[in-house]
Amino acid sequence: MTSGRSERADLPLPEPLDLGLVLGGLDMVVLKPERDDTFLLMTEPTPWFKALSGTVRSVGARLSLHGLSDYLDHFLFDAAEFWLKGVPGRIRSGPWLEAPDGGEGRALEAQALFHGDDGYLILEHLGEVYKAQVRVLQSAREHLLNEEALEREVLRRTQSIRLREEEIAMRLLAAAATRDGETGSHVRRIGLYAAAIGEALGWEASRIADLRLAAPMHDVGKIGIPDAILRKPGALSAQEFRIMQDHTVIGARMLGTSDIPLLCMAREIALGHHEKWDGRGYPQRLVGEKIPIAARIVTIVDVYDAMVHRRVYKAPIPEAEVLATMEQGVGRDFDPALFEVFVGILPIIRAIRDGNLDEPL
Amino acid sequence: MIQLKLCMVGAFAVGKSSLVQRYVQSMFSEKYHTTVGVKIDKKDIALGATSVRLVIWDLAGEDHFSALRPTFMRGAAGYLLVVDGTRGHTLDAALDLNRQIEASQGPLPFALVLNKEDLLDQWEVTASRIEALERRGMKLFRCSAKNGAGVQAMFEYFASANLEARAS
Repeated sequence: MTSGRSERADLPLPEPLDLGLVLGGLDMVVLKPERDDTFLLMTEPTPWFKALSGTVRSVGARLSLHGLSDYLDHFLFDAAEFWLKGVPGRIRSGPWLEAPDGGEGRALEAQALFHGDDGYLILEHLGEVYKAQVRVLQSAREHLLNEEALEREVLRRTQSIRLREEEIAMRLLAAAATRDGETGSHVRRIGLYAAAIGEALGWEASRIADLRLAAPMHDVGKIGIPDAILRKPGALSAQEFRIMQDHTVIGARMLGTSDIPLLCMAREIALGHHEKWDGRGYPQRLVGEKIPIAARIVTIVDVYDAMVHRRVYKAPIPEAEVLATMEQGVGRDFDPALFEVFVGILPIIRAIRDGNLDEPL
Repeated sequence: MIQLKLCMVGAFAVGKSSLVQRYVQSMFSEKYHTTVGVKIDKKDIALGATSVRLVIWDLAGEDHFSALRPTFMRGAAGYLLVVDGTRGHTLDAALDLNRQIEASQGPLPFALVLNKEDLLDQWEVTASRIEALERRGMKLFRCSAKNGAGVQAMFEYFASANLEARAS
């Protein structure tokens, strides 16, 4: 029986590791920076390195790497700083495509190492590793592009549905408005003016879209007012005026309580568009910012549009005169800050007015 | 010969590589090929009596998978921020990249490139947004890597403006 010691003694000794051979198999070259801005080639040059450096070289050759590759030049600047610090570790260049003569080229990566007391530069041909990375990223990015395209399509169709809904709502509101002599264009304009103010205030797109549709519903409660009062030529009696005021409450009741932001906003507008900034309005005699902002916006644009247009009971009033009159109501009837925004976008307001002239239904 | 390094930056799939390929090789491919890492192309041009070599660094698109290394800008005469006009968020990405570059490298000449002008009817980048950027003094180019419109003019304007700045 042999001892364990003699068995171990019979084992063949391992061959000394040829580091250069191992590294050569990894499709990389190792260089050592020298003091005179040259590098000492420490492994057998690979074919691609020979092509890059332009001369056949062998282990132990000294060479300059400057000017071989713009990207490598760039990295060597970082590498020199790194080696100068003398801290063990490494930095990577990240992959780059070296494409002589505009061809497809090869993917390389450089690493600067500091080990012991020496710096090293490793240049590696990434080959299949790079191709696999490209395949993964290509697939991921194509997936993202498809997702983006689908999102755009969903958005486009949602907008299309919304436009159709708006059109239906506008036609119904316009039909209802004819009872008290209003036109479909007035209904549409109120929404567009209000939306323009919302945009000037920097509101989100969805909130602006809600305002554009909710504002025209401000007088929807007039459906519940008797014709004898609604269409009465001349002044209303005190009792008739009280009944007329109920259109705000009727409108709010019709729009109901809802979690849908558009209907919540429409309800606030229907109920609050006759409130006044100083608390003299109706039905709740709210003061200042207690009045929902959407209602404060509609108060301004409704008065403006009614005054500048012809009605069965009045001729159109010149805009300058309308603005002067409204100016007197700032701080009393109208929110001063919102009125300033309204005046600031008058060119847009005028464009909406001119683009949506009154037409018979 | 004067050498000018120019970096192409922007979100992924905005057409950076396609613009370079159109300019350098007069070619265009409909298929999207992602760039991993950096590809450097060169083009020698004559601007009046001056010979210029444009060294164009095509940097991988910015997204979740790869981030811009601001040090790539070192030594650059400037950069082009490329935007896909049909994808509105790529403008936000470009403006964000611009802030990153300015924060790390200081101010460098740059221009905003609105690519895919051939698909103008599908643009999400609005005219009002473009006007607002122009009012801020941003230099803008509209071009199409697909049909080549505006591509040569954009690169060569950049080179000329750089030479003029050097001369002054």
